[in-house]
Amino acid sequence: MSRSLLVAASVEEALGELAGGARAVAGGTDLVVGARQGKAPLPERLVAVHRLAELATMEEADGVLRLGAGVTHARVAADLRVRARLAALADASTIVGSHATRAQGTIGGNVMNASPAADTVGPLICFGASLRLRSASASRTVPLEGFATGPGTTAAEPGELLEAVEIPLPGEGAGSAYLRLDYRRQMEIAVVGVAALVRLDGGRVADARVAITALAPTVRRVPDAEEILAGTTGGADTLEALGEAVAAASRPISDVRGSAAYRSAMAAVIARRAVQAALERAR
Amino acid sequence: MATTERPRTFVRPDGIEKVTGTGRYTADLVLPGQLYAKFRYAERSRARIVRVDLERARSLPGVLAVVTHEDVPDVRYGHMVQDRRLFARDEVRFEGEIVAAVAATTPEVAARAAALIEVEYEPLPPLTDIETALEEGAPLVHEEWESYGGDDELGRDRNVLGRSVIVKGDPDAAMAEADVVVRGRYVADASQGAPIEPRAVVAQWQGEKLTVWSSTQVPYIARSVIARVLELPESHVRVIVPLLGGGFGSKCDFHFEAHVAALARAAGRPVKLVFSRAEEFFAPDHRREGMVIELETGARSDGTIVARRGRLLLDGGAYCGEGGFFAQMAAMHACGPYELENVRIDSSLVYTNRQPSGSIRAPTAPQTCWAVEQHMDELAEALGLDPVELRRRTLIREGSESPTRQVFGPVSIRQTLDRAAELIGYGRELPENEGIGIASAWWPSFGGESGAYLKLNADGTGTIVTGAQENGSGAVMGLPLLVARTLGMRPDDFSLLYQDTDAAPWDGGSSGSQTTFNNGRAVVEAAVEVRRQLLELAAEELEVDPGDLELADGEARVKGAPGRGVAIAELAGSGKTIIGKGSGRVPDAPATAPDPGCVGRLGMESFLEPQLMTHAVHVRVDPDTGVVRVLRVVAVHDSGTILNRVGADGQVYGGVVMGIGQALTEATQFDDDGRQRNPHLLDYKLVTASDAPAIDIEWIETPAVDGGPFGAKGIGEPPCVPTPAAVANAIAAATGRRVRRLPMTAERVWEAGR
Repeated sequence: MSRSLLVAASVEEALGELAGGARAVAGGTDLVVGARQGKAPLPERLVAVHRLAELATMEEADGVLRLGAGVTHARVAADLRVRARLAALADASTIVGSHATRAQGTIGGNVMNASPAADTVGPLICFGASLRLRSASASRTVPLEGFATGPGTTAAEPGELLEAVEIPLPGEGAGSAYLRLDYRRQMEIAVVGVAALVRLDGGRVADARVAITALAPTVRRVPDAEEILAGTTGGADTLEALGEAVAAASRPISDVRGSAAYRSAMAAVIARRAVQAALERAR
Repeated sequence: MATTERPRTFVRPDGIEKVTGTGRYTADLVLPGQLYAKFRYAERSRARIVRVDLERARSLPGVLAVVTHEDVPDVRYGHMVQDRRLFARDEVRFEGEIVAAVAATTPEVAARAAALIEVEYEPLPPLTDIETALEEGAPLVHEEWESYGGDDELGRDRNVLGRSVIVKGDPDAAMAEADVVVRGRYVADASQGAPIEPRAVVAQWQGEKLTVWSSTQVPYIARSVIARVLELPESHVRVIVPLLGGGFGSKCDFHFEAHVAALARAAGRPVKLVFSRAEEFFAPDHRREGMVIELETGARSDGTIVARRGRLLLDGGAYCGEGGFFAQMAAMHACGPYELENVRIDSSLVYTNRQPSGSIRAPTAPQTCWAVEQHMDELAEALGLDPVELRRRTLIREGSESPTRQVFGPVSIRQTLDRAAELIGYGRELPENEGIGIASAWWPSFGGESGAYLKLNADGTGTIVTGAQENGSGAVMGLPLLVARTLGMRPDDFSLLYQDTDAAPWDGGSSGSQTTFNNGRAVVEAAVEVRRQLLELAAEELEVDPGDLELADGEARVKGAPGRGVAIAELAGSGKTIIGKGSGRVPDAPATAPDPGCVGRLGMESFLEPQLMTHAVHVRVDPDTGVVRVLRVVAVHDSGTILNRVGADGQVYGGVVMGIGQALTEATQFDDDGRQRNPHLLDYKLVTASDAPAIDIEWIETPAVDGGPFGAKGIGEPPCVPTPAAVANAIAAATGRRVRRLPMTAERVWEAGR
């Protein structure tokens, strides 16, 4: 048994290694920690992409914020554009794991790991983010929504590297929030999370996105909840109905972190609070 | 004594190396030719071993030794019951049971080899529930229990590993006549010590002599058991403890030292074992025991408690380990520091096919106190009395008689209650969903043999050679304060030499909050001997009577004649041997009823110099999610004279935070087969620094009459005892609902509110 780790000096070198069957690693906060915990052994062949400057850029152009896949959660959380215009993403990036996780872990890793509990993915889906994927032979852009196909699995082709996450910046009147049920103030993982984006027009919700985290096999939107919000002022009755819709759309499991019944009940509570926070930010 | 200085900014000698990362722990040791150990665990909770095949493991390149029960003497060990072998022979009884061990050139090869060992099992249904284990006809965790050596006082019977019954008066008749009777059933989950350092052992043989470096809290006890199970003279075994990264009791007792020694002998090379975090959770025979606590208390309308009946079941797990005394300790806490006229407490420690329970900081006390103090609040409610007022009327005072007829000396628990209530602002209006809860508790001081040497060096400094073990609490680090105080020198004039069983006198180790209490006495006695030698030398030098001299400010000087003296450094540098030794007289256990109305008398039927305390906790509960935030904790303690304020405060800060974890988030969860479901720090939820509330500490100092140095009692364990109870009462105050499961997780608080 042999094991290899190549620290890539260029994207091309990384792509070559991926084409040969390697798995990419950046912060290692899922892959390495998971291996130590016995979830899955480390892949035999690894290519480290954490030193690639091309993956660590943050650029805004034509109303789109392009986050290199190697940008850490800490950088996302501290970015003033993100805090002002993509508040839900700032919320999520601020609470991923621990200080150490945020210093090492990357937004690209959070997306590619495809955990149902990934904090940044719900906000990114709400913002309509797309993914820039590149292999040794081709490049393509795909929507993030639908990219995760199950816990730990994605629609990425073998040999593809996530280069960047492209996020259209929401226009005037938008507000967003990501809220998570936390048992303690640090080092948490989502048991229930809800991301919300609303755009208000004349005090009414012109457009709404709601996504759930750790409540289904993948992070996903809840169209019923979005419909309930649309056209309303987001009053108490609307939020009540929205909470019920989110709970109904949830497919929670029972595990050491909480029972399915508790998760369902909390889905409604956290959804109401997340949408409430998004509405307040939009006003 | 020269000075009564009690510094608040004392810098412990091991502080800088620990916080700067230069400190060396057991896992940092590297010996030439060292191999790496890996254990093959049962990974199931109950099965008969049919066949073990080591061939594939042995033939893996890089493997130098594979050992099983066949390679060590057939000796059973265990503190109060000898019920365990180093390696499973016929049957495995919990998931962390060790079937075989491997030593190889790298940790990876060792792990692969361990996985290549083939073990064929005949599965047996595991016994994972304490109440089922007591049923008629339940399978026995140890079929041959009667043949085991053990303490006769334990009252062992089938799956009951130990039983304690405390009886006073006629509780049935008194209960029948009580004005008010309340009943409650409380269930506590198991939890863990979770030290930051996973344990490590390095073993090296030189001929017939064995040196073991181990992250143990109790090196002398570890040495004894290593010698016993490997059938070596104790003098052939030397145990050294490099810096220890915490233990919270979980590193008490002997653990894996002999397994690693057996590997090192078989391989002919030094062998190192370093646990993963998961192993640190499931493999040691140490966790805080799960409990079922049923209480019934009758009172007169004025609050006088006329009767208490209680039934306690403790999950002892698969082996006794060092936890054999738990039934009695729990029974004492089911009485609590209260005046009870009539009592019957029946407490059983029960074998199950789960990880063995063992001492974790104040074993059995936080859970039992959590139940008793909620029960007291419920009694207050039934009586229409304020909970603080009920406690004021019923807590012990000087002259009170305990259920085992111990008569208490000066005790200040009521003062801790009053002061805690005052500091938290008890009774004031609070915002919605907030509440304040109060809980009082006690914990004994433990007298025990302990020893130290003190020598002065030629440069005028001193070295304390102590048998005591520093587990992180700072107790050993505080010893220079005691010596300096006796010799009129500065604390940083003294270095510490610990812990090497070949160098220092015997000590019970870092357990039972006993280091300052017992070893403190020993070092003071050693210092007094040095003091006498210094005064004699100075008397000769100054040509005065030793009785006219005092030691202060680093010199021996004539009392009342400033300027007439000689520096201690000068005396120490004279070439004379200046060395003192000490042990001190061990205080006697207070007398109790001679009548054996009590079963299971293991030495805890009286509480020597009890430490007394009250915590007051202010919480906010999110009514929709059940998430509880602790906003503020007031901790008022009487631990006798406080010798090192910064160290004592540190114990309370840490204990309170540990208590909050026990209260709200920390639980080891088991699957139906008795295996741990969350043996890692993501889902075993410790409280983080961000969760820590404001903590206000106050000390009521009632000097111990027959205790530690200068009237000190212990302090290490009890700070975590009343916190879960106070949090529980605060939750009830905030929500109007009681949570009778520990930990009181968000989900359980939410359920209680539905």
